[in-house]
Amino acid sequence: MSQVAGLPLRFRFLPLLHEAHTRDGWLSREAVETIARQVRIPLAEAWEAATSFPEFRFAAGGGDGGGCGGLSCVVNGAPPSESVHARCRFRCFEAPVSGGEDDFPEEMIRLAGRLLAPDITGWDGLRAASSMGSARALDMIDRAGIRGRGGAYFPAARKWRAALGQGRPLALVINAEEGEPGVFKDRAVLCRRPRRFVEGLAIAVSVLRPAVTVIFINGEAAPARRSVETVIAGAGEVFPGGVEVVPGGGGYVLGEETTLLNALEGRKPAPRLRPPYPVESGLFGMPTVVNNVETIANLSILFREGEAPFLDPDPAAAGGSKLFSVSGRVARPGLYEMPLGTPLRVLLAAAGEKDGAAFAAVLAGGPSGGFLPASEFHRRLVPGLLHPTGAVTGSGGMVVLDTTSDLRAAVLETARFNARESCGKCTPCREGLPRVVESLAEGHTEGLDDLLEVVGAASLCGLGQMAPGPIRSARHFWPELFS
Amino acid sequence: MSLILNGDEVEAGGSVLDAVLAAGIELPHLCKDDNLPAIGACRTCLVEADGRIVAACSFPASMAKRVDTETKTARRIRRGVLELTLAMQAERGDEGGPLAGETASTASREGAAVDRFAVRTGRAVDATSPFFSFHEAACILCGRCVVACQDLQHISAIGLAGRGRDTRVTPGAADTFRESICTSCGSCVAACPTSALRPRGGAE
Ligand code: SF4
Ligand code: SF4
Ligand code: FES
Repeated sequence: MSQVAGLPLRFRFLPLLHEAHTRDGWLSREAVETIARQVRIPLAEAWEAATSFPEFRFAAGGGDGGGCGGLSCVVNGAPPSESVHARCRFRCFEAPVSGGEDDFPEEMIRLAGRLLAPDITGWDGLRAASSMGSARALDMIDRAGIRGRGGAYFPAARKWRAALGQGRPLALVINAEEGEPGVFKDRAVLCRRPRRFVEGLAIAVSVLRPAVTVIFINGEAAPARRSVETVIAGAGEVFPGGVEVVPGGGGYVLGEETTLLNALEGRKPAPRLRPPYPVESGLFGMPTVVNNVETIANLSILFREGEAPFLDPDPAAAGGSKLFSVSGRVARPGLYEMPLGTPLRVLLAAAGEKDGAAFAAVLAGGPSGGFLPASEFHRRLVPGLLHPTGAVTGSGGMVVLDTTSDLRAAVLETARFNARESCGKCTPCREGLPRVVESLAEGHTEGLDDLLEVVGAASLCGLGQMAPGPIRSARHFWPELFS
Repeated sequence: MSLILNGDEVEAGGSVLDAVLAAGIELPHLCKDDNLPAIGACRTCLVEADGRIVAACSFPASMAKRVDTETKTARRIRRGVLELTLAMQAERGDEGGPLAGETASTASREGAAVDRFAVRTGRAVDATSPFFSFHEAACILCGRCVVACQDLQHISAIGLAGRGRDTRVTPGAADTFRESICTSCGSCVAACPTSALRPRGGAE
């Protein structure tokens, strides 16, 4: 077992668990304990970490039914997840689906801009960035105003400067977990445009000079992982320090940076307290930059084509394009690359109505976002809130409901999802969300708003804090829904 | 560094909770041990800092200008969290370690209703250790026993296995404390703010 230079042995915990799980189909206690000893993690700590990943099973045989309980599948006729109890399969574009992950189909790239144009050749962008030197390259990223495409839209240059400013060896971590049902853009980029992403990564490495570079990738996204590993292996001297590709064990809460870092450290995947922020003290205490796949891929465009594609006279549109994953009740589900700030109705028109049924609602931003009715489709997809009740552009997941869809079932499904994905660390989310689900399922909504206030205001991380969004927005726009 | 706390200027260097307690103000903090780092799990220490609800145990005083512990919103949300906490307990006795009464007394001080939510809890009992027993029906999953065992004693016999509503205190991967690497040091019992961990010999 090789040790990653400079990192504690326990960095190997998750990859070894994933390997054993892939080999045996489940994890026995003995397997977890053996691995824990190998990487020197105390047993109880190893057990709490291992049992907190939803994709790991701890009994032989069985399986999880093969179906998909994601919202896009539910509105396309799959039984709600209560009965199949399956996670999203992230093939929402061909809902309803079953079975594991496949290579992302090229034809599901419905509208390509610069990012989804045919993949690049050579490393011209990297060469441009390297010849510029770190300081000038950083200025360029700053001027282009590139912001995090994982959903938070934090300015990339500011994050990088904060980490570099610590003056210590740093870690660069790419979050390719993509655990939000209805979002499949990172998988698409990694499967179909891997060189675009890898060049972006090489640029980030040349500017940040991290001591360690890690891609954390969804454990079930094997096709995406193989694709990116192949390109990295062929890139040779582009990554002098190497790149660690770490497959995880799933969980929506891994979208929260500190949870992801805990997972990489072989700890229970639950949020840490902030401060310290990851840029100050992240992976094993190193100043750490965590970026999304799409953010990184944009660097390749910037250093090949300059700032022009990112400069928009409208400051609300944070420069550049965004990948929108459109699924649910649409004629042409798939991936649409459009400028940030595009009106929602333009995106919907491109995806088209299915079987002539009119669009009724969009869940914007998934289980952490909110529903919008047709009267709000004029809203522009800018970073941040689209409506005060919850809808966000987020990572660009748009699940569409039409007049044939059961909106009530959809709201319930988002609540169930959040309750199921709660990491369980804090009381309001862990205890509150299951009660929210019950109250919705039984139609007893008195006291519900107070409970939602507690969950939203008291929860430790974004999962609990934003879980009320879909419910609040649905109750705002369709007050009769749960009465 | 100074801070306006409930209207008075106070000196503050650590967390908001440190400042609050130093000023002699009572504030729930069910998962924060006086001598151990904050966990941030119980969410009962919420206060209003510059108009935002934050957890006092982990919010640095240096990041706040004005903190109020008794605003309407802070009180209402604290109470809601405590009511969810009480609903985890089918047993609320104080026959446990030295802090066993903390949860119940905190909840009543804050005016939390014991019956806002139906009680739902696991009922597992582990009485295999010769020195203490564990009663799931009283556990609020605050994580203090885990920090005491893993970070203070560096034994790591106890952990929070599973996720979401399935989270539970377990003796690592072992079925019982007797079969685990527990050394019966008693740190977990001393840290527990409920009667979930009880020394043996006392009332069971
Ligand atoms: S809000 Fe939910 S997911 Fe986040 S720490 Fe609390 S229990 Fe975990
Ligand atoms: S046993 Fe006690 S200290 Fe441990 S989590 Fe439960 S209530 Fe907290
Ligand atoms: S004491 Fe602050 S969250 Fe528990």
